[in-house]
Amino acid sequence: MSFRPTKRQRRWAFRSPAGAALILPAALLALSFSSPAAAQGNVSKAEADAKLRYCEVCHGVSAQGFHGYYPIPRLAGQPTEYLKNQLQAFVERRRTSNIMFNVGHVLSPAMIDALTTDFNELNPKPLGGAPKENVDEGKRIFENGIAGANVPACASCHGPEAKGNGPFPRLAGQLYDYITNKLTNWEKERGQNPAQPDISAVMQPIAHSLTQPQIKAVAAYVSNLE
Amino acid sequence: MGFAAGILTFVLAGAVSAQHRISLSGDVQAKISYCKDCHGVSAQGFNGYYPIPRLAGQQPEYLENQLRAFIEHRRTNNIMFNVAHSLSPPVLNALAAHFASLNPPPIGGAPRQLVATGRKIFEDGMPEVNIAACAACHGPEATGSGVIPRLAGQLYPYMIKTLSNWGRERGQNPTIPDTAAIMSPVAHSLNKSQIEAVAAYVSTLRPPRGTPNTVQ
Repeated sequence: MSFRPTKRQRRWAFRSPAGAALILPAALLALSFSSPAAAQGNVSKAEADAKLRYCEVCHGVSAQGFHGYYPIPRLAGQPTEYLKNQLQAFVERRRTSNIMFNVGHVLSPAMIDALTTDFNELNPKPLGGAPKENVDEGKRIFENGIAGANVPACASCHGPEAKGNGPFPRLAGQLYDYITNKLTNWEKERGQNPAQPDISAVMQPIAHSLTQPQIKAVAAYVSNLE
Repeated sequence: MGFAAGILTFVLAGAVSAQHRISLSGDVQAKISYCKDCHGVSAQGFNGYYPIPRLAGQQPEYLENQLRAFIEHRRTNNIMFNVAHSLSPPVLNALAAHFASLNPPPIGGAPRQLVATGRKIFEDGMPEVNIAACAACHGPEATGSGVIPRLAGQLYPYMIKTLSNWGRERGQNPTIPDTAAIMSPVAHSLNKSQIEAVAAYVSTLRPPRGTPNTVQ
């Protein structure tokens, strides 16, 4: 069991015999954290690894993504800048997700550095499962955009192989239904603070212009890319 | 035998219909009654010698997976092994569909004072101690989805037993890893009082008619 007891748990621990079972492993953990292991900033490798495993409970083995109740996105191979921006957006509620708000607001900057580096370096195969129809059309849209509808080529920002760069996310290998959800509901979830516009505003007109069939085509194409 | 199988197939085609007026074949009806001997008259669960889980409203894919896990001894339970390995695939399908359609009220009985804490853990998780929000996978109303089980209305003692003994009962064949592996770190991280709180909370839940991912 790897965890850091909260103040409340530490107080409680002194009052109950069962709580004593908490104190010893906690003390041992605290001792192990005090040594400067292969850490980034002041996060020990053990702590960072434990946090990564926790993220993987929802985001899947090697952060490949997972079909929970909601489609939970792939984080593997994401640019660190994009991940950091999203975590900050969750914490500041510019991007709406109760679960990710809670996840995000306990992360220290050092932990965020460690995690985002770890995610960026992961490279599992795409989770797959997307429909195979319209992949060709998706590729056309991805590479050329849709001139008549003011939709630029996705590749111009997301890269020719959809691997993303800097603030632009990787789309390669992303879950099909995650992409369709996000593109369909863009302004319901992102850019939620009009007084603090963020980079999500770039995607808003694009997401808005894409029709449902086009969204599905693009999603089918990128979700299979490695 | 072929004739009976033919009838079964024809009947099963309509078995999932929301109307549920088509009567199930005698074989399947008998099997359902047999399951209900232990699992409760509306599959709401039963506090037998062991807590016997609620099957009502359960995700069909989850039920089928568990029955297969029992058969293959990936999930340890002698009684259920014997039950499951007498089921042919079409009967297994019909049972899962039938149970999914039931919606009796939860048995209840959990300590009320634990429910608020359980709700917090369920909806928000405990990120400081690396416990994921149950809702992320089990859904905001604990209905489950696909292979992920419904927890709404599950028996309080059954939830406690399951979370406390996860690795001792599930995923018993390391050469055939299954979905049980996903819950292993979560179950392991939860302490006793957290388990009791979450168990108490979900045991009270009864998603209303029309909730997504339910057959009602």
